[in-house]
Amino acid sequence: MSARRAISLVAWREIRERLRSPALLWSTVIMLVIVGASSALPMVLQEETTHRVAVVAPAPRGLDAALQRAAEPFDTKVRLQVVRSATAGRRELDAENVDALLLLGTDRIVFRKSVDTQLAAAADTAVRALRRHLPPAPELATATLEPAAETSEDAEAVVAMLGAALLLGALAIYGQWVLAGVVEEKSNRVVELILSTVRPRHLLVGKVVGIGLLGLTQLALVAGLAAVMVAAGVYDAPSSLGGSVALVVPWFALGFALYAVAYATAGALAAQQQDANSAGQPVTYTLLAAFFAGYAALSADAESAVANLLTVFPLTAPLVLPARSALVGVPLWEHVLATVLVLASIYALVRIAGRVYAQGLLHAGSRLHVRTAWRLTHQRD
Amino acid sequence: MPTEMLSEQTLAEHVRVGRSGTEDGLRLVHVSKRFESVQALADLSFAVEPGRMLGFLGPNGAGKTTAMRAVFGLVQIDGGEVLWCGRPVRLQERLRFGYMPEERGLYPRMPVREQLEYFGQLHGLDRAGARAAARRWLERLGLAERSEAKVEELSHGNQQRAQLAAALVHEPKLLVLDEPFAGLDPLAVRTLAEVLRGEAARGAAVVFSSHQLELVEDICEDVVIIDRGRIVATGTVDALRRGSGRRRIELELEDASASLPTIAGVELLERRNGASRLLADRDVDPERVLAEAQRVAGVVAFSYGPPTLAELFVELIES
Repeated sequence: MSARRAISLVAWREIRERLRSPALLWSTVIMLVIVGASSALPMVLQEETTHRVAVVAPAPRGLDAALQRAAEPFDTKVRLQVVRSATAGRRELDAENVDALLLLGTDRIVFRKSVDTQLAAAADTAVRALRRHLPPAPELATATLEPAAETSEDAEAVVAMLGAALLLGALAIYGQWVLAGVVEEKSNRVVELILSTVRPRHLLVGKVVGIGLLGLTQLALVAGLAAVMVAAGVYDAPSSLGGSVALVVPWFALGFALYAVAYATAGALAAQQQDANSAGQPVTYTLLAAFFAGYAALSADAESAVANLLTVFPLTAPLVLPARSALVGVPLWEHVLATVLVLASIYALVRIAGRVYAQGLLHAGSRLHVRTAWRLTHQRD
Repeated sequence: MPTEMLSEQTLAEHVRVGRSGTEDGLRLVHVSKRFESVQALADLSFAVEPGRMLGFLGPNGAGKTTAMRAVFGLVQIDGGEVLWCGRPVRLQERLRFGYMPEERGLYPRMPVREQLEYFGQLHGLDRAGARAAARRWLERLGLAERSEAKVEELSHGNQQRAQLAAALVHEPKLLVLDEPFAGLDPLAVRTLAEVLRGEAARGAAVVFSSHQLELVEDICEDVVIIDRGRIVATGTVDALRRGSGRRRIELELEDASASLPTIAGVELLERRNGASRLLADRDVDPERVLAEAQRVAGVVAFSYGPPTLAELFVELIES
């Protein structure tokens, strides 16, 4: 029998086995509902928002009413605070007692660090209405107290973080599926029957492919919905980020192939079901370390040499590349290099794991150390 | 010693070319395997011929399971060869083998029919062929009504049948069964014996290990007895029995309380209600034993013949 046929038979069985239980369907539905519901979140939060605006005395009559009217379309309220002087107003702004300072004398609205475009627009409309001016001449120029922060926009950081967290969760969850499947096969001894006709390597790959396809489908549905929503402007985020969200899907495939093979090998070395969790720990810790290393490097400086290194390093690339791509963009050559390195690592790991896997699976009843298993593979081949 | 107990050299030659003079079937030639400090198989050679059933016997820990696993590459042997039709056994050959491991195991949450189809396909059947074969075996083994049940929902007996079906579904040319009769009720034993006979009649080479020696004597043409990884005896059941240096004598006296006198070369094995079971050296004249018995009391029944396989087994292992 060809390798392809053996692998596809094993993969197909894995898929059917998992589809038998409704857990998969329900978890997909719940994830889709969460992503869908997240679009309503900003609106819910915005309803509560009240902007605090300081204005130097004396405040023109009707300014308060005009501000409220102008803010209404944004589902926000404005609380006006009258200050004695521009200096006092700056102090209030600096102390975060107000969100913006309106300087009508010089036609400016001053923010602390970044311009709140909504509030600026509302204030502009209000002042224009008050002065009975007509568009398009902008009534107010915007300014900030301090130069704008160098770090990236909030929306991009959120997408990067969420994407990486989603990947981490998916890799860990589906990795555990692989681990549990391997341990189950080993502990109920069906593996002896399987390995009498299938090469261990093919059983390993078939398992990873089958569970990976399920995970990929689930993740593609969820990430696809999120990407479409970002692109359609449901979130207050640049629509170009939809592409970064979509990047999560292929990198799940690569990252999963890498980590799932490691999980499967860990499972083969576990003696029985009870040991499954502790057997998987080294892999889970590696995964977490990769995530936090990437997170630390990216939040310190996404353009640093370390960040560049982690983008192409096989163990971290699956988690770091999509996140970094959302934050600052990743040049094409790094995409290519990272992909090549991960593929090479997967190939090498499958070769090594295939041997350890066979020894581990057939070594029933006792926990087998990696080193022992590796030594056994060398006794005779 | 028995004619079939051959010298090392001729045994290997015999094994390589087989009884039929061809290289058909399965041959283990000088196979050895060591686990740490235990020599599990020591220069083990025997053959399983197509169309014949071989009982693979030996006390616990003799190396039967290791030898069977070696056929499927589940144990990497240190030396020797496992041959099918004269060629080393590889994955391609194993696709036409059927295996029932000592430790049974199927996927617990997978329906029986799907499971059989899966194993059929793993052995190279196409989907339609696997489906038809699965249905045929489910009916044959009386599992048709439970075909959609998950394995974990089946009774112990039905799980055993499912396991057997998994070994048979692809019409194997070689059947290797590790303790297939263990834990079966008498009806299931009869069914399984019939199935195995049918498989041998179809032309399959069948080998199974068992401790039920009466059964093996009943249904097997050939036996191999091993102990501590070494061949103790090999040959047809009849030849091995006839070749034994002992003869069994059963006699029943009219007077249950009468006791037999001691006769040189005759050992009393068992005595119950006037019936005695004796083991005599082959050169002891049965007429003499009968005459001695008649001197004590009237003889109601007397039988003389080669030892049973069970008696032979004990004799060989104890020596």
